[in-house]
Formats: sequence, structure tokens, C-alpha cells
Amino acid sequence: MMSNSDQDFHTGPHEVLLIEAPVGQHHGGTAISDAFIPLWRQRLRIFLQNKLAIASVVYLVFIVLFCFLGPILWHSNQTDQAQALLAPQNGPPTVHNLLGTDPSGFDELGRIMFGGEYSLTLGMIAGVITIVIGTLYGMVSGFLGGFVDTFLMRMLDAFLSIPVLFLLLTLVTVFARTTTNLIAIIGVIGWFGNARIIRGDALLIKELEYSQAAKAMGATRWHIIRRHVFPNSVSNIVTVATFAVADAILFLTTLGYLGLGIPLPATDWGTMLNNSSQYIANGYWWQVYPLAVIFILVIVAITYVGEALRDAFEVRLLER
Amino acid sequence: MVAYLIRRLIQSFAVFLIVMFLTFILPYFETGGILAPAYIALNTHASPSAVHAFALSHGLLQPFYIRFWNYFSQVVFHFNLGYSWRQTSSVWTIIVDFVPRTIWIAVVSLVLSVAIALPIGVIQASKRNSFFDYTVTNIFFVLYGIPAFLLSLLMITWFSIGTLHLPPVPNDGSALQIFTDPKAFILPVGALTLLNLAFLSRFMRSAVLDVLVQDYIRTARAKGCSQRRVLFRHAFRNALGPIIIILGLFLPGLFGGALIIEEVFNYPGIGYQTVNAATYLDIPTVLGITLLTTIFTLAGNLMADVMLGVVNPRVRVEGR
Repeated sequence: MMSNSDQDFHTGPHEVLLIEAPVGQHHGGTAISDAFIPLWRQRLRIFLQNKLAIASVVYLVFIVLFCFLGPILWHSNQTDQAQALLAPQNGPPTVHNLLGTDPSGFDELGRIMFGGEYSLTLGMIAGVITIVIGTLYGMVSGFLGGFVDTFLMRMLDAFLSIPVLFLLLTLVTVFARTTTNLIAIIGVIGWFGNARIIRGDALLIKELEYSQAAKAMGATRWHIIRRHVFPNSVSNIVTVATFAVADAILFLTTLGYLGLGIPLPATDWGTMLNNSSQYIANGYWWQVYPLAVIFILVIVAITYVGEALRDAFEVRLLER
Repeated sequence: MVAYLIRRLIQSFAVFLIVMFLTFILPYFETGGILAPAYIALNTHASPSAVHAFALSHGLLQPFYIRFWNYFSQVVFHFNLGYSWRQTSSVWTIIVDFVPRTIWIAVVSLVLSVAIALPIGVIQASKRNSFFDYTVTNIFFVLYGIPAFLLSLLMITWFSIGTLHLPPVPNDGSALQIFTDPKAFILPVGALTLLNLAFLSRFMRSAVLDVLVQDYIRTARAKGCSQRRVLFRHAFRNALGPIIIILGLFLPGLFGGALIIEEVFNYPGIGYQTVNAATYLDIPTVLGITLLTTIFTLAGNLMADVMLGVVNPRVRVEGR
């Protein structure tokens, strides 16, 4: 699917230089030749060729603006429960409530924005935490290898074996359900899968010629991790990070379903979906479908961006 | 091979112990410490003497290491998982009664989803970037974005309440009900299958795709093999390795996936029991189910590695 120039470039005389170039870093000037295109720009180009990915980015930006700037334009009560009780409950869409009201009498459109602020922020931060922990764990495990690797991986097996729900219920009862704590809890529980993937990467890269060469030249382990293993697995880390954010948002939704989401008067999309889907048989469609569509598309969009990033980073894929 | 198996078994046992220890120590961190289960079993406002009596009769007042040793020796030497604190049966009885129910829906949906995902993955990979490929990928992406509980509730709303009037899942009777009363199980099995599909299909496609760019496929094409022969003789066989790994790792995930489904469809399987036990801090039951899941996870990993050696002789010797 890639243009010819990309392929030529990768098989061309600059190949060595390209692979050595740290990801995302500008190589400063075009001293080598006019044909030199910085790696990040090539990748950007591949990314931009993916129409769905662009649409996804646009959609995500729109949703972020909708959630964070929307309340400036669409005024609605989202915090005063007493006042909400005076409003019509489960009310159908009207001019005053474009998407009707929810079971507590809160305006649904404003609620989607309000809940979205929490869901997106939590998903974002928790996703980043999972990726940081997962990367550290995976890198150490994969790079050091041997006994450390076996030990860390078997520990990971153990973590994966404990039912997530039990871990969660325990953690949620120990720590109050504040935003910070929920971020920490999702961050602490969500990194297991990431660690596996990153570890596989580290395992592979440390055996490659350039790592071996660095080792032969007397580079320290830290140097090899920092200058060779990490930069070369950045592509995977970024991709995994996108999925991690999507997973964190989904995770928060499951928490909402179990009634362990962000407590009233604040809310998150999971809690909202759960509350409203209980009433779905009553015909309150405005409480379910608009949010469901927005939510599912957010996850789908993040996944698309992740896939497009993977394609952009994957040199092998240039042939496909 | 035997030495490898023995080493893996010893490691697995170590993991088993770690899981037991972690799960055992978790309740100590609940609000109210190890007495938390007593407060939940009795009532938050239970009198101190009642709590004391509960703690005494369940051995909660003993020091941690004595409790752990008792539990450990009972489990490891006597295969005795103890008695449930909430139900009048042993944990073993609960497992024997409820696990088969979950296993049947899990296995049926796994077979269905593999039977669907495999051919679709092969076709997608062989006709990649075609209309079919894009359509299927997008459908699965959307499926991936739908939280399990929402999917189940929507299915109930549409096909049980709405049009087809499928009967609800009976929540008593034998574990083989799925075969005697298949109509009632269309929705839960369908939901679980869709969720599995969303997860599996990504791997199926990329597993086959990874193989299709290999040199031996080009060789096969060059020597004049028919498309079908290339796909099923050369590509599919080689793609089996990654697919088996995925299935092995996926085995314990089946329990997790069934958990929300069982909760929504009110189907008394082991997932349903887990939710209840975790919510009400029925520690012996949680521990028993956790240890069982651990064994499944470890067996899945081990089986995946051994099977990998069977289908791909190259990895057999080194043994990871």
C-alpha cells in the first residue's frame, strides 16, 4: 500500500542510517542528500495515508473538545442533585434537554460531556501508567533474561491468574473511589499484558546485530537498553499505549457496570451506560443509544489510530 | 523434553504458591482488616461479640502464618479447599457444581468463534486490503469497542424482548442444559462468541499475514501451486503456531469473559459465583476459584508451549 519512494528509500543506500536513527528524532539538516527524509516524516506520511486513522483523530479531537469545551456552550446542571430531582426524570428529548434527562433528572447531553471528561481523563492517565509500568517490567525482564526473566515472568503468570474482579473489589474497598485512586487501581491492574509484549520485544532486540555489536564494543547494559533496545521498541510501545488507553476506558466501563465507577454526583460513561441500560426495556432510547454510539466510536477510533501507528512504525509492513 | 516439562511443572507449582499467598493476603488489606468478611457476612452494624464469634469460628483470630500454613497444607496435602462462609457447602462442591456450566458455554462459544475466525482470518489475509477485508475488520473493531455488558443487554432487548422472543436462560437444572434446551442459550453463547471473535480475529488475520510474506510462500507460488494449496498447505500450517499460543493464553480468559455474561444473563456458572464470593468476601470460595483459574492458566500456557513444539519442530529443542 506504500508509495514507491518509501520502498526505494528503505532498500536504498541510506538503509543503515535509517535503522540507526532514533525514532522520532530529527537528524538535523539534509547533509547526506536531498532525497533524505527524516524517519518521523516518512512515518507521518504513512500515517496520513490512512484515511480511517485521520478520521479517527478528527473524531477523537472533536469528542475531547465536545466534552471539555461543550459545557461552555451547553449549560446544564450536573452537580446539584437536589435541583436535578425537581427536573423531569427519564424525560424524553425536548428543546431544553436535547437528549432528554436521565433517571436522576440530569440533562443527558450535558451528562455525556461531564461523564466523558472523567472517562477520557482517567483512561488517558491510567493507560499511560500501565504502559510505563509494563515497559519497565518488560524491558528489565526481557533484557536481563535468565533467572530474572523466569522469575518476573512467573510472577506475571501469578498476577494474571488472580481474578481481576477480586483484585479490583479488594482494591476498591481499600481505597475510596476517588478519581486519583481509580486511576491508580486501573494503572496497577492493567499493565500485565503490556509487560508481556514489551518483554518479547526486548528479548528480540537484544539479540540483534547492533545490540550485540554495542555489547562487543564494551557498552554497558544501561547504555544498550537506553540507546538500542528502548528506541527500537518505541514503535511497539506507542502502539501498545494506544490500545492501553482504549483498554483503560473499557476497564472503567466494566467498573461502572459493577457499580464501582465514579460515585455521584460525578459520573463516567461506564456508570452512565450501566444505569441507562437497566432502563433500556422501558424505551428510554435517548439514555442508551447516543452515548453507546459515541463511546463505541471512541474505542474504535483509538484502535484505528493504534493500528495506523503500528503500520507507520512497522518497516516490514512497507512491503505489504 | 522431559527435563523441560519437569522444570516447567516445578515453576508452575511455584506460581501456584505465589497466587495462593497473594490471594490469601489480599483480604487483610480490606477496610476492617481480616475482620472485614465478618462485618460483611453479618452486617455492618453487627455487635462486637457477634463479630468476635464469627472470627473465632472461622479461625480469623489466628496469626497470618498459622492460617496460611493450615490452608496450604489442607490444599496441597489433602486437596481440601475448605467450606464456603456463605453457602452450606464445601468449596469443592461449588466448583464441581458450577464449573461445568461455565465450561460448556465457554467451550461451545470458543469452538464457534474459532470455527468462524479461522476461515475469515485466512480469507482476510489472502485478500488483504480488499473490500471484504476492510468490512470484516471494521465489524470486529466495532465489536471490540462494545463493553460486554452493553452487548448482552442490547441483545436481550432486541432479540428477547424485541423481536425473536428468545426465552431467558433457565437458572437451574443440569449443566448439560445447553444441549437439551439450546434455544435459551442462543443469546449468552452468541454474546460470548461475538466477544471472543472480536478478540481472536485480530490475531488470526495477522498470524496468517505474517506467514504470507515469507519466502517459502513465494516459492510455493512460483512453483505453480494453486491458491488454495498455498493457503491451506503452506500458509495455514505455519500460522498454526501463533494461533495455538493465542488459544492457550486465551483459555483462562474464557472464564473472565464468561463472568460478565453470566452476571447479565443471570446464569449460575462459576463466574456468577466469583462475583458473589468476591462481593461478599467469601474468602474460601474466592481462594478456591482463584486456585482453579491459576491451574487453568498454567495448564493453558504449558499446553501452548508443548503444542507449539508439536506443530513447529524448530522450537522443540530449545524449549523456551
